[in-house]
Amino acid sequence: MASQNPDNYQLSATEPNVTTEEALKSQLMTLNMGPQHPATHGVLRVEILTDSEVVAKAIPHLGYLHRCMEKHCENLDYRGIIPFVDRLDYLAAMNMELGYALTVEKMAGTEVPRRAQLIRVLVSELQRIASHLMAFGTYAIDLGAFSPFLYAFDEREKILRLFEEISGARLLYNYIWLGGVWNDISEQQLERISEFCDHFEGEVDKYNNLVTHNKIFKDRTCNVGTLTAEDCFAYGATGPVLRGSGVDWDLRKVDPYCGYEEFDFDVPLGAGEEGTIGDCWNRYYVRMKEMKESVKIIRQVLDKIEDGPIMGKVSKVLKLPKGEVYVRTECPRGELGIHLVSEENGKKPYRMKVKSPCFTHTSMLPFMAPGQMIADFVATIGSIDIVLGEVDR
Amino acid sequence: MSTSVETGSFKDYFRGLYQGVTSTAKGMWITFKYVWSHKPVTIEYPEVREVLPEKARMRLYNDSQNCISCTNCANACPVDCIYISSVSRPKGEDIPKTSNGQAIRKILTQFDIDTALCCYCGLCTTVCPTECLTHSHDYEFSQYAVEGFIVDYLDPEVKQWRDRIVKNP
Repeated sequence: MASQNPDNYQLSATEPNVTTEEALKSQLMTLNMGPQHPATHGVLRVEILTDSEVVAKAIPHLGYLHRCMEKHCENLDYRGIIPFVDRLDYLAAMNMELGYALTVEKMAGTEVPRRAQLIRVLVSELQRIASHLMAFGTYAIDLGAFSPFLYAFDEREKILRLFEEISGARLLYNYIWLGGVWNDISEQQLERISEFCDHFEGEVDKYNNLVTHNKIFKDRTCNVGTLTAEDCFAYGATGPVLRGSGVDWDLRKVDPYCGYEEFDFDVPLGAGEEGTIGDCWNRYYVRMKEMKESVKIIRQVLDKIEDGPIMGKVSKVLKLPKGEVYVRTECPRGELGIHLVSEENGKKPYRMKVKSPCFTHTSMLPFMAPGQMIADFVATIGSIDIVLGEVDR
Repeated sequence: MSTSVETGSFKDYFRGLYQGVTSTAKGMWITFKYVWSHKPVTIEYPEVREVLPEKARMRLYNDSQNCISCTNCANACPVDCIYISSVSRPKGEDIPKTSNGQAIRKILTQFDIDTALCCYCGLCTTVCPTECLTHSHDYEFSQYAVEGFIVDYLDPEVKQWRDRIVKNP
């Protein structure tokens, strides 16, 4: 504090007890948030320079969860990479697998059977709901509400249980294989998904009553961490962060993959109902609305699903032609792009680069932080919903 | 935290007060409904155990009687945690068969899996030609030292806990 340091006072004879403007400025204090901080969603360390309670500068430090995933992939055959891709965004492993499988299939020219394609859409939308539930629950915890987290986990558990039955694992599935999916879904499980959809729409309304339209929650999130559309373009933001700023950009609509063009759903956008467009509340509310849209897609899949094979024709030892391919998919957190370079008849990729949405969003923190209170900064980190497994890879 | 309460007029102040009271009451009502109407979902673990789904992937189990030492599983493993070695059978000896009729041409001398390295992806079980390598439903195998995670499947003791880890207890 400046007042405790007598050197900062410059008293003069003509103006007694008047301090200069420079002396009034308090000293900046360095504060470390993380790496094991409950409000940073993983092992993110943010070095904050604080001016009393206001953040002057924030520097995110990465690398606490770095596993050399891209280098590992260069030494693995194409099937063995799938368990590694799972561990990118461990909260949305199905979407990661889908992105990778689409990349290799595009390179190999594999036809995916229709039933497998519909099951892929089904599981990735269920995974989107599970991931957004996690985002909702942890965001409520960041802002000091604990019980919504438990309610969200109650619903998420139902999805994870279903995934455990069809794939065998709860979090890292290895379910979407090159050319199709591993196991088939039974009629009984489809029935359960249908029941879950009916039940879940009411649950989202309940969450909205409990958290979204709560006065305290709105006071914490409205007009906080605002990003204009121009900022989002400048930093390359995607997903709910971009849509929260009112930009209509969803790869499922813009660049359809895996048969998304045949489904009818809306793209929720941030409209600034409670504050300005692009604030934390809008980003959060886009996710809540997206869960309902996912339910809409799942219902259409359940109507369309038909019997048939679940695996396409893929050779036992997969060898890809020489070339490179880039495939982008819409994950719960934004655009996942996989750039694959393969050699002639190579069993392993020459290079596999992952473009992760969370890394882009983390790089926006130094832009958003200055001028915010520390409590608002926590709300900002929560609203961009990053998973550090994907940032560090 | 700029809100309408701080920057707005006298009217806004009371509107904010009203919204705060009503929205909090709504939230409390939802929470109270949970208190009475919602059944507990947690399981009191050591006493009550969940029955795992049939396909659940827990610790690997290899039935070494049926293993033909083909090393398909070791090749498929993305983390290289399966160690197999075998010797060829002396000439003139009878070639035994597995339960599904495949000839066991080699004598298995080592089949170890480092459970600490294993990532439970299930790729090894899908390539096994005799289906002797499967995921069991045993998830309680904590150890005091990392070395304890290396399981020797030729050990007679492993066969003893085979009964414990059969699927669908």
